[in-house]
Parts: sequence; C-alpha cells; structure tokens
Amino acid sequence: MASHTSFKDRNLIAVIGDEDSITGLLLAGIGHINEQLKKNFLVVDSKTQVSTIEAAFQEFTERKDVAILLINQHIAEKIRPTVDRYQQAFPTLLEIPSKDHPYDPAKDSVLKRVQKLFGE
Amino acid sequence: MSGSGPRENVFATRMALTNMKLRLKGAETGHSLLAKKRDALMTRFRAILRKVDEAKRKMGRVMQLASFSMAEVTYTTGDISYLVQEQAKLATFRVKATQENVSGVLLPAFEVDRTPGSDFNLTGLGRGGQQVQRAKEVYAKALETLVELASLQTAFTILDEVIRATNRRVNAIEHVIIPRLDNTIKYIVSELDEMDREEFFRLKKVQGKKKRDAAIAAEKRASLEKAAKKAAAKAVKITQSEPATDLLSTKDEDVIF
Amino acid sequence: MEGLFFNVNNGFLEGIVRGYKAGILTQSHYASLTQCETLEDLKTQLSATDYGNFLANEASLTTTIISDRATQLLVDQFNFLRSNAVEPLSKFLDYITYSYMIDNVVLLITGTLHERDTHELLERCHPLGVFESMPALCVATNVEELYQSVLVETPLAPYFRNCLSAADLDDLNIEIIRSTIYKAYLEDFYEFVGTLGSPTSDVMRTILAFEADRRTINITINSFGTELTKEQRAKLFPAIGRLFPDGNNALAKADDIEQVRLVCENIPEYRSFFDNSPGDAQDLGDLGIAAQLEDRFFRTEVRLNKEAFLQQFQYGVFYSYVKLKEQEIRNLTWIAECIAQDARDRINDYIPIF
Repeated sequence: MASHTSFKDRNLIAVIGDEDSITGLLLAGIGHINEQLKKNFLVVDSKTQVSTIEAAFQEFTERKDVAILLINQHIAEKIRPTVDRYQQAFPTLLEIPSKDHPYDPAKDSVLKRVQKLFGE
Repeated sequence: MSGSGPRENVFATRMALTNMKLRLKGAETGHSLLAKKRDALMTRFRAILRKVDEAKRKMGRVMQLASFSMAEVTYTTGDISYLVQEQAKLATFRVKATQENVSGVLLPAFEVDRTPGSDFNLTGLGRGGQQVQRAKEVYAKALETLVELASLQTAFTILDEVIRATNRRVNAIEHVIIPRLDNTIKYIVSELDEMDREEFFRLKKVQGKKKRDAAIAAEKRASLEKAAKKAAAKAVKITQSEPATDLLSTKDEDVIF
Repeated sequence: MEGLFFNVNNGFLEGIVRGYKAGILTQSHYASLTQCETLEDLKTQLSATDYGNFLANEASLTTTIISDRATQLLVDQFNFLRSNAVEPLSKFLDYITYSYMIDNVVLLITGTLHERDTHELLERCHPLGVFESMPALCVATNVEELYQSVLVETPLAPYFRNCLSAADLDDLNIEIIRSTIYKAYLEDFYEFVGTLGSPTSDVMRTILAFEADRRTINITINSFGTELTKEQRAKLFPAIGRLFPDGNNALAKADDIEQVRLVCENIPEYRSFFDNSPGDAQDLGDLGIAAQLEDRFFRTEVRLNKEAFLQQFQYGVFYSYVKLKEQEIRNLTWIAECIAQDARDRINDYIPIF
C-alpha cells in the first residue's frame, strides 16, 4: 500500500484543541515548529472560525510528518461532517475529551463505526 | 440451452472444458484460503475492537486526570498557556512507527519516542514550578495512552479496510466467479453433448443413405445380371462354335485375374 | 502620631476596605459551595453572597468565565479605592499593581520575541496590571524597541534599567527575566513601605519578607535539575526576607530538597513547611513535598494577610485585601474546576480564609 512507504517519517503529534488541552500537551513536549514556521497545534477558542478549524484539519491531515492528530471532541463536533468523512489510516485521528466537555463515546466517529459493526 | 446464467465467452471444446475445470479448482482453493484469511483477520479485528473500546474509555479518565493537573497549575501559577505556546519549538515527545504482520496485512504500531528536553523547566520558576512539572508528567502519561489508542485505531482502520476488501473478494469468488465457471462448464458439457447427438444423428443419416444406395445398387446389379444372362443365352445360341478361344483372347473388364 | 491624622486622608478608604473584607466568603459559604452539583448551582449559591448576580449575563458557564468575572469585581473595587486615594496611599496602591504589571510586560516581551501581534495579548493581561500606556508597548516590533518603550512608558522602568539590558531580553530565559524584575520590585516595595513608617512598615514588611522568602525557596526547588546555574540562581533571590542573607547563601548552594529543609529549620515559622504529617505523605517524593509546600505557602500567606487586618491606621489592609480576594478567586476557580471535572475528592483542597 502506498501509504506505508511514508509512514516511517511520521513522528509528530498534532493537536486542534482548546487552550487548556493544548497547554498541557505542549508541556508534555509535543509542540513543534518546523522550518516554515508552521506550528503543529491550533488553539481554538469561542472566537475561532469554523473555516479556520477546517483549514487546520486539512493541513494537519495532509502533512507528511504527522502521525497522530488529536482533536478535542467538542471541536470535532463543529466540523463533524469533515471528521466523519475522514477515512485515511494516516495520520490517525483521535478525538479527545477536554476540560469542559467530558468524553462522550456516542459521538466519536470511530466508535460509531465500531458500534455499527457490532450492531450488524 | 442449459447454463442460462452468465458464462465465460469460450468455444465449447474439450480443451476449454479442461481449462475451465482447472480454473474452477483454482477458484475454490482461493476461496477457502481467503475465507481463512478473513477469519484470522476477523479474530484479530474483534480483539482490537474490544481494546479500542476499552482504551477510549480509559482515555476519558486519563485525560480528566490530566486536565485536573492543569487546573492545579492554574491555581498556583496562573495562566501560563501563552508562554507555553510561544516556547514550543522542537517536539520532544514524538512517536515512532513500527509494523506488525497479521496474515499478510502490515499493521502499524506507534511507540512513544521521548527525548528528555528542558523546554519548560523554568516555567513557574517563582511560583508553581513543581505543579508545572507534575502536569508535564501527567500529560506525558496521558499521551502514552493516546498513542497506544492511536495505534489500535490505525490498526482498526486498516484492518477494517482489508477485511472489507477480503470480504469483497470472498463474496466475488463465491457468488460470481464460481457460478460463472460452473455455468461455463455446464454449457460446454451440454454443448459437447449436443454435438455428440448431432454427430450420431448425422452418422445415422449417412448410414441410412448408404443402405439405400446399396439397395439400389444391388437391385441394379440384379437386373443387369438378369439381362446379361438373357443376352448370354442368346449369344450362346449364335456363337456356340468358338466361344472358348474368344474368352481367352479378349480381355474382359470384369475379370481382374 | 500617625494614628492621629490617618483618618483625615485614609479613614474613608480604610472603612470601605474593611467593609469589602466583610464580604469575603466564610467557611459556611464554602461549605455550601462545595455541595454544588453543577456550575449552575454554584452560580445560585454565589448570588446569595457579596458576589451577587455577577454571573447573571453569562450564557454558558465555564470555570474561566467565573474566574474572569470574579477578578473583574476585584478590579472594580480596587479601581474605586485607587481613584479615591491620595498620596501616599495612592502610591502604595500603585505598588500593588506593579506585580501584575510585571507579568503583563513579560507577556508582551514573550510575544515580541516571537514576533506575534502583541495587540491580541492585551486581553490576556491581568486587568490589575493594565496601565494607560500599555498599547504603546505593542507598537514595538523588536525587543530593542520594546525595551526602550518599557523604560519610557512604564513605572517599571527603574527595575528594567537596573537589572537588564536590551540584549538580555533576547538571550535570557523569560522566566529568569521575570524573576529578576520581580526581585527588584520586591526590594523596591520593601524600601518604599519603610518610608511610610510604622505601623504600615511593620505589617507590610512581615508580608513582603515572607513573599521574598517564598520566592527564594521556590526558585531554589524549581531550579533543581534545570540549566539554571547556581550563580544565576543566587542572583534571583530577593535581598530581603528572613532568610536573607545567611539562608539565601545556603539556598544558593543547595542541591536537593533536604538542604532546603535544613535552611528553613533555622526560622521557627518556616519549620512546619517541611513537616510531613505521617498520615498523608509517605510516598509523595520530592515532587509531592514541593507541591504540598506550595499549599502551605498559600496558607501562611492567608494567615499573614488576615493578621494585617488586626492593625488599624495602616495601609497593609489594602494590600492584604487584594491578596485575600485573589486567594478567594483561586478558591472559587478551584471549586468550580472540581465541580466541572467531577473531582469531588479534591474539592476541599481550597484554602479557607475566614
């Protein structure tokens, strides 16, 4: 498979999340700014446009050095159609809970598929 | 004509029949092999599904712990988010991808690849530094869970894909290729039978005609013979004196030796 | 003598601030707050206190909003005090804002260093540390310019001028810059309260000395295992406080938490900081001890600030009120955080004030 050839270079974790999640994850050391001064994280607050989130989502999923993309579930909700449509194996998309929004397995696009498979 | 379903476009020959039979055999072997592969993958898949489910729930708890440690930091240190965002330069927490082979499917697995960095060592120097360090550790642990989950999920996505493909193939073989080959074989067989019958009938016809011809010929000869006898009787009467010399000297066409 | 004329200029404001102080949440308030199931409950409970309807206009409640609004209340109160104050109280109140100003300026420095648009940083600044000319700082596009504008525009100029050069802003870790300036500020404040004479100086010096010691200890502990050298570390210690000078010298050489403990043993009041109550902290390790330490610092700070209210005719009450209120906001945020994240077992870790 074509995607396998490049996955060795993928070693970054990208995040789209609220300020607290990002701060914590950056503390753990995932933050990376590459030569083009591109960050691998996007802070989303109440003022962030949905189009900005979409754009970041596209960018991170198309980047060749991102292995895992974390996104806060409540933010994933805002771009749910895009997230649900996302089927690539790389980068892996993970929906994570945030401080103010506890995790709801029912909304997770992957778990939805799991449920569907078991339901059938 | 038998074999009303779709069939291969071949001439009904014995050669083609042998070929088809070989192909059918191949298809059946392939089918059973693929079915085995699918079963193996499915077993793996179900195991992963269970783990994904578990890990997702675990993640909920771990992330809660992590964000709580962040609350502790905010409590003692105040808002450090901007500082942290600006100080991020090089990732010290990365992942490494390895592969695992499950029934010919390469499943990637992520491993945590952490290089000790000193990026935020001085954050909260005057106040709350220890909380910051602790949050750092808690988040790193949480990330480990996330990375684990990510590998599971990637495996899930890839397996899902592969299983679908395998299923498609199994089903295609079972419901399209095998019936098609079956039909072709039936068609060839029936076609060959048909040809046999035709041949038989043709032979019969030929035989009948031959018999008829033979009968006519026999009749003709009989009548000829009769006529000949009559003529001979007359000739004997006319040239009775010297028939013997004539017979020996003249060449008779009917006599071979 | 001081007491005779104190009320002429400051009696009104002292009355006000003591009135404000009566509005600080008490143990019984906290008891009911910690029972809340949701943030909405919390809002209802708070409306029965001096906070009133401060959250009435919020559509969705988050911990951040609660803490922002509560801070805003404090800022309003403070601004009222500040606008009614006359010299030297007004100067004293200004000094209180300097510590927030330091944080804000450091924030702007960070932004400028990374070439961000610093205007959006203005909303992140602590409202108590906002000064009129702050937007002017945002004009600066590089650190050199920023340094110059800080010197011209802000009251922090002396601290910057004496401790750092423009080049330092570029080279040093932002936390070192912050600590250096803060040290200068503490020393200056300490000096200033000395000029106000007793009893203000007595009260304030106790509090500031503790604040200085707290920083010294914190910096020591937090610099273990980092790239901060011992010489650099020693430079960040405020030259005041009860640990100064012997303790500071010893701390500058300390290598582990045990040595810090030994130094603190010399001061009777600080001994308890490192006491491990046998019940809860057997296996916390260094990190745990330090985390507990922070908690104990907060408790001591609250105690000292409460004691400031026992003395009349002095300015310490203003400082103490701000600090107590700040602690209260932290408590509120903590409780809200615990409720929001369903961490009920930790909800009682706030620090009661009265």
